[in-house]
Parts: sequence; structure tokens; C-alpha cells
Amino acid sequence: MPNLTLTYPLLAALSAVLLPFAGFLLSIALGKKARHGTVAIVAISLSLLAAGYAFAQVWGHDPIHVRWHWFTIGQHAFHVGLLLDNAAVLMLLLVCLIALPVHAYSFAYMKGDPGIHRYWAYLSLFCFAMLGLVVADNLLLMYIFWELVGFASYLLIGFWYTRDAAAHANKKAFIINRVGDIGFLVGIAMVYSSVGTLDVQALFGPQGVFAAPAGADIPAANGKGTVTAGWLTVAGFAFFLGAMAKSAQFPFHVWLPDAMEGPTSVSSLIHAATMVAAGVFLLARVFPLFNEAMLLVIATTGTITAFVAAYFALTQYDIKKILAFSTISQLGFMMSGIGIGMYHIALFHLVTHAFFKCLLFLAAGAIIHEMQHMKEKHGLAIDPQDIRNMGGLRKRMPITFATMLIASLALVGFPLTAGYLSKDALLVHAFEWAALQRGPVSAIPYVLAIVSILTSFYIFRLLAKVFFARPAAILANKGVSAHEAPRQMLVPMVFLAFCSLFPLFTFNPLNDGQVWLLQGIAAELPTLPPLRLLHLLVPILATITTIIVAVVVWRWYIRGHYPLNTTGALYRLSERQGYVNELYGAAIVRPLLKLSALLWWTDRHVVDGIINGIAAAGRALAGITTWIDRHIVDGAVRLVGKLAWGAGNVLRRSQTGRVQQYLALVFFIILLILLYLIFAQA
Amino acid sequence: METLVFYGFAAMAIGSAILLVSMRNIARALFLFFIVLFSVAGLYVFALADFIAITQLLIYVGGVLVLLLFAFMLSNKELLNQLQRGVSHFFAMPVWQALLIAVSFLAILIHTAIQVGADEPAWITASKTAGTTIQPGDNTVQHIGVQVMTQYLLPFEVVSILLMMALIGAAHLTRKEETP
Amino acid sequence: MITLTHFLVVGACLFSIGLYAVLARRNAILVLVGIELMINAAIVNLVAFSRYDKAFYGGQVFALFAIVLAAAAVAVALAIILNVYKFYKSVNPEDIRNLKD
Repeated sequence: MPNLTLTYPLLAALSAVLLPFAGFLLSIALGKKARHGTVAIVAISLSLLAAGYAFAQVWGHDPIHVRWHWFTIGQHAFHVGLLLDNAAVLMLLLVCLIALPVHAYSFAYMKGDPGIHRYWAYLSLFCFAMLGLVVADNLLLMYIFWELVGFASYLLIGFWYTRDAAAHANKKAFIINRVGDIGFLVGIAMVYSSVGTLDVQALFGPQGVFAAPAGADIPAANGKGTVTAGWLTVAGFAFFLGAMAKSAQFPFHVWLPDAMEGPTSVSSLIHAATMVAAGVFLLARVFPLFNEAMLLVIATTGTITAFVAAYFALTQYDIKKILAFSTISQLGFMMSGIGIGMYHIALFHLVTHAFFKCLLFLAAGAIIHEMQHMKEKHGLAIDPQDIRNMGGLRKRMPITFATMLIASLALVGFPLTAGYLSKDALLVHAFEWAALQRGPVSAIPYVLAIVSILTSFYIFRLLAKVFFARPAAILANKGVSAHEAPRQMLVPMVFLAFCSLFPLFTFNPLNDGQVWLLQGIAAELPTLPPLRLLHLLVPILATITTIIVAVVVWRWYIRGHYPLNTTGALYRLSERQGYVNELYGAAIVRPLLKLSALLWWTDRHVVDGIINGIAAAGRALAGITTWIDRHIVDGAVRLVGKLAWGAGNVLRRSQTGRVQQYLALVFFIILLILLYLIFAQA
Repeated sequence: METLVFYGFAAMAIGSAILLVSMRNIARALFLFFIVLFSVAGLYVFALADFIAITQLLIYVGGVLVLLLFAFMLSNKELLNQLQRGVSHFFAMPVWQALLIAVSFLAILIHTAIQVGADEPAWITASKTAGTTIQPGDNTVQHIGVQVMTQYLLPFEVVSILLMMALIGAAHLTRKEETP
Repeated sequence: MITLTHFLVVGACLFSIGLYAVLARRNAILVLVGIELMINAAIVNLVAFSRYDKAFYGGQVFALFAIVLAAAAVAVALAIILNVYKFYKSVNPEDIRNLKD
């Protein structure tokens, strides 16, 4: 049972969550005075310290769970609480660890932006939401933070809201996330209605409701019967829908490339540790809920996403778009990892990916920053994010080049990097898993391997175009000189570059079996029968293909022997991002617009017509009423008045003031009464 | 004989009253009122109420009539002059509406009186049959004194207070105003 | 034999005459005299009925009260008449018309 006492790790985790929120409130309160962002940076630094302490205390120990009664609806009590298990503290530390360099980087990157005070506030809110999400102990609380993450990302993507593209991008991100949120909500409702609790530990913990072996019946909440497998599949799918939208899985990936409209530092945060990680984290949390069929769906979706995104990334020219598709592709990897039942490896990949992807974005940001400076300085008409305008930056920005190279190698899974450990672990386990499968799904590891090759290609293409190729003509002519980014930006990048290497995770760079992170999470998972040969073969083959791809890229892009036809159908398909946006436009947006137009027309002509008709009828009625009022009612009232006046006028004649006349009248009336009495008696 | 005397008193009372109301001269009218009161006192004696008859004479003739004369003399200076000069019309012209109402009342009252005579109330009949009517030889004064002090003590006291109030009121009304 | 009816008729006549005086005479003092006539008529009735009430003498006692009250009324009424005369210099009720609308 959860205890109610606050221990130091709990306090640390709580403060880690609440410090960015305090920073957010303070930034809001300070308003335009909070331009330098000290508040946000101090908050996230302290948060990192607290998270580090919590991590050190909790990692490898029993989970700590504390909760307080929140509110009661009818007889159902809801609680608010913290659940600190290995996954939660890992994510807590990761988010802080990524957020701090991003904050530091933003300090230089966003300098001089007119809306920078908003930027710091939003950034703090974003961190708060994500930190709250990872330590939430029940699904309802998780959903609240989930929505907060979505809202904060909406604010950040649309940070430059004066730009049309940014405004559209944040709308798109928000709307697509809504679809997923509905799935999440439906999932919560289904779980609650069938099991009667939302507590993560009670549901998915080692002794939880869903911990029973797959296929076993789960007792229903009302004590009668069991929850059927179909019901569980639907609930699992609902949760997966939420994760799909949040983690940009195909076909909900379209918002992520557009989200590049936000500041690059924000993109790095979104892609590395916060927004998209939320989906993977959710799936890891609710993992016991998924049955075989659902896991297959997840694995398939992840694989398709990984492949499609990598394919789209091949031909993009916008540096940030390439990285965005790369993220989608890697998220597809993680999903596949969850789908094959190895969610600890998915989380591991999430962690390593967070570091190198964050680094990639920060490096790209540094480059864009330089390009922007040159553009403004020399008045060039170029897109600062287009890699065709870059080239030869290797000599001018050596540190940026070095860090980006490390990050790229980590991305492709080159030995000695962190990416090698996680990605090859994933691949190996995928092969091991596929050995037990029948039918088309056993192709999944092969597809993933192909994706890995594509990944190598597009990232090397990016490096070649940016750092090695001859400078674009427009830059060469002007004789402009780019130079290294400021130190405030370089320090976080170097720090992240170190984190992207193997020593952070293991002392044996070639064997993923000794990674402490995997050992910490995987304890409760069933193990697959290991295939010894694969552990040797896959890394070697992957490394060899990577080197081959590097050579090919060298020949194509740097030596200029480009063999492909850029007008081919496949090429165009990739460049246009598979026409998914166009498909949405045709299938959803345009019919919706038509429907809206129809509704507008209906509203204008039918509803308004009815209302106008009612109004006209009302006015006519009012006219009649006025007439009646003026001529009949008023007439009646005046008649009464006239009558009273006339009667008074007549009767006042009787008031003569003569006492004897009054007396005579009195006696006359007494006379009449007496006569009446006499005759009534008779 | 007895009946004749009664008729005489009645005729005197009614005749004087009629003359009273039709007379223009107020001084004379007041003296006629004196005659009326006297006759009525006589009628009281016939109704075996000798103490009432005496009271009538004492209060009305001795008090009220004198008061009326005083008031008349204080108020009607011009009428007094007129009195001294002599009057042209002896009778006042009757006002026909007043006459009509008075005659109607007379008719109704006489009708009622006759009805009472023909169909007398039960308590009178009971009294007659029991023989508990006042007889000419009874000591009326003693009886009235006893009754006033026993049966009718409360009305007596109330009337005494009322009299005092009337006295004070009259004195107040007629006093000389210090400031108009 | 003098019956009850005799007295009642005499009372009726006196009452009617008093009523006429009240309604018709143009002098406040004579109006007062008319009222006194009416009271006397009432007293006649009281006394006449009293013959049959030997136990309590109700009629005679109330006749006594009535006479006393009439005297008091006359005193007050005359005081009022004198005041009215002082104010209007007239005792004709026709002249006093402040109640007229």
C-alpha cells in the first residue's frame, strides 16, 4: 500500500516537478522584466539537482508511491500522488538533463527576441508539464499533464505567432494531438469502467490487475464476470492512438515537421525529451495492458513509421525537416521496440536518442543562427535553413562540426557511441523476436535494418552538404565568412556530445547486455531465447553497411558523382513527404471545408431565415398588441376613469353641507329599512 | 274617568307639540315645550311611574328648559327684537319633505304599536298571567332606589362619569378664549 | 282601560313631531327641542313597558338614565350652539355649510 509520509526522494521529486512551475509563475508575474531568463534557468538547474538526488535514491530500489485523497465523485475517490519507480526517475532525470542545456543554449540563441519573456515562461511550463507527466501515479493525473504538454507545445510552436506558417503549424499540432487525446481519454474511461481504478501501480504494477499472464481473464470491476479480450484490445488501441498522435507515428506524423516553425531550441526540446517522449513513456507505463494482437499492431505501426519517415528524410532540403523526419523514424524504432515487448530497450533508446537528437538540433540551430546572421549582414535573399545554401562550414565552425559528427554517428549506431548500444540492442531483439513469429510480421527486423541504412544515408547526406560540400555560389561570391557560435551555445553542445558517447551508460562499449539502465528496468520482463550469433553478426553488419553508405555519400555529394534522376516518381514521393499532407487535405480538410460552407449556407439561409421569420412574426404580433393596447385596453381604462369621474361629479351635488338634508336622508333610509323589515315579516 | 284624563293629557301633549313645531316665534315655542313636558309627565303618572314624572318635572322643566331659554336669549338678539316687535306670520310654513318623512314614520310606528297591542310579546303575557305587574299601590321610589344600587349599579356609575364629562365639556366649550 | 297601545301611539306621535322639528325648523334651538321631543317619546315607551317588569324596574330606571343623559346632551349641545353663534353670528343650520363640496 502507498504510504503517506514524505520521504526525501519524494520531496526531491516533488520539488523537481514544482520548481519549473514556480519559475513559470514567477516569469509570468515579472512579465517583460524577465527577459534574461535567469528565473527559468535557476529553476531548471535546481530541478535538475533535485531530480538527480531522487534518481540516486530511487534507482534500483523498490518503487515509492505516495498519494493523497483529491476528490470524491459519488463513491469513487480520486487521488493525486507520486509514483517513483525506475522508469519515472529515469525520465525525471532525463528531462531535466536535456532541459538544462536547452535553457542555457536558449540564453544565447534567443537573445534579443522581442517576445523572449514569453519564451522563458512557456519553456518553464513545458518542463513542468513533462516532469509532472512522468511522476504522475494515476492515469487521470497523467492525462492532465498530457494535455498541459500539448498546450505548452502549442504555445511554443506558435511562439512567432505573427508568422502565418507558425500559426498554422501550432494549430495543426494541436488538432492532431486532439485526436490522440481523445483516444487517451477513451482508454482511461474504458479502463476505469472495467477495472474501477486509475492507479498506475494498482493497474500495471507487478501485483497489478493486468500483471496476469497474457490470455488470462481479468476480473471486472463489478465483481461479475471478466473483462473480455476484445474490450482490452479496444482499450489498448485507444491508448495507442493517444501515443501515436503525441509521438508522431504514421499517419499522425504530419504535425512534427511543421512544428519546426518554432524556435530551434524548442524543437530540440520537443524532439528529444518532452513532447514525443511522452507517447513512448505512456506506452511503457501501460505496457501490461497490451495483448498479443495489440503488440503486433504497435510493432507494425512503428516499423512503417520508421521506414516512411526515413524515406521522406532522404530528399528534404530544410535542415530542420530532415532532423524532424529523423526523429519520427527513431520514434518508430522505439514503438517497434515496445511492440516486440522490449519496452525497456525502447526506453533506453529514448534516453540515448534524447541526447543525440537534442544535440543535432542544437548544432543545426547554431548553423541556422550563423546563416541568419550572414543573411542579415549582407542582405542575402536565402533561406537560412536550406542545406543547399550551406557548405564548407567544417573549417569555420569546427566545434559545431565535431559535436554534430558525434551526434550523427550516435544516430546511425556507430560503435563507441550510445546510439550503438540502444539501436543494436533493439535490432538484435527484433531479430530474436521475429524468430518466434509467423507470417509477414517476421519481416519487421529486416525492414528496421533497411531503415537503419537509410538513416545512415540521410544523415551523412546532411553532414556532407553542410560541412564538406563546396559553399553555395551565392555565398562564395560575396566572400562572406561564417564563424563559430558563441560560447553559451557551444558549452551545452559539448556537454550533450559527451552524453551521446558510451561511457555514460556502460564501460563495455560493444556489449549492450551490461548497460545499467537496461538492467534497472528489465527486471520484470520475460526474456526471449537469445540467439548468440545475432549478437555478434548484427553489430558487425550494421557497422559495415554504415561505412559503405558513408563512402557512397562521399562519392555522390562531395565528389559530385550524383547518379540519381531527381524527377523520378520515388524521388518526388519522398520529397513531397509521401503526399500525406495532400491526402489529408483532400480527404479531411477539403470535405470539412465544404461541409462548413454548406453549414454556413444553411445557417445563413435556413436558420437565419427561420429566425428572421420568427422575428417578423414577433414584430407583427407586437404591432397587433400595440393596437389592442392603445385602443381597447387604454380605452377600457379611460372608460373606467370617465365613469368614476362622472359618478363623482353627479354625486358631489348631494354634498350640500346642509345638516338637515343629511339628517333627512338618514331618516329616509331608516324608513326604507323599516318598511323592508315590516314587509319581509309579512 | 281615568281614561278621559289620559286622553286629555295625551291631546295636550300632542297638540302643544304640533303647535310648537309650527310656530315661528321661538320664545313661544319654548313655552309650549314646557306644556308638552308637563303633559308627558302626567302620562308617566298614568304609566304608574310617579318618580319618573317628578324627575321629568325637576330636570326638564327646572333645568333643560331654563338652559334653552338662556341660550335662546344669548344667541338670538335679532330674534328677541323681532319678538318685541311682534311677528307677521304666526305659523312657520311646513317643509314638505320633512313632513312626508315624519308622517311616514308616524304611520310605521302606529302600525307597529297596533301590532304590539294585538300580538303582545310573550314576556308581557307571562307577567300578566303571573300577576307580577306594577300595581298602583306599590312603592315605586323604594324599588327604584334598591334596583339602582344593586342591579343597575354599573350603568349608574357609568352615567355619573358621563355626566361629569359632559359638564366639563360644556364648561370648556363655553369658556372665553384667551387667545383667539 | 289604558292599554300599552295607548302609550305607544302617543309616543309615536311625539316622535314624529320631533322628527319634523329636527328636519324642518331653521333654528338650532328648535332643532334641539325636536330632539328632546323624540327622547321624550322614547321615555314614554320605556315607562309604558316598565309596567310589566316588577322584578327589576328596568324601564323606569333606564327612563331615569335617559332623562339625565338628555339633560347632559342639552347642556353640551347648547354650548356648541353658542360657540357656533359666536363664530357665524347665526343659529340657522342653513347658514352653516362648510361641509358643502
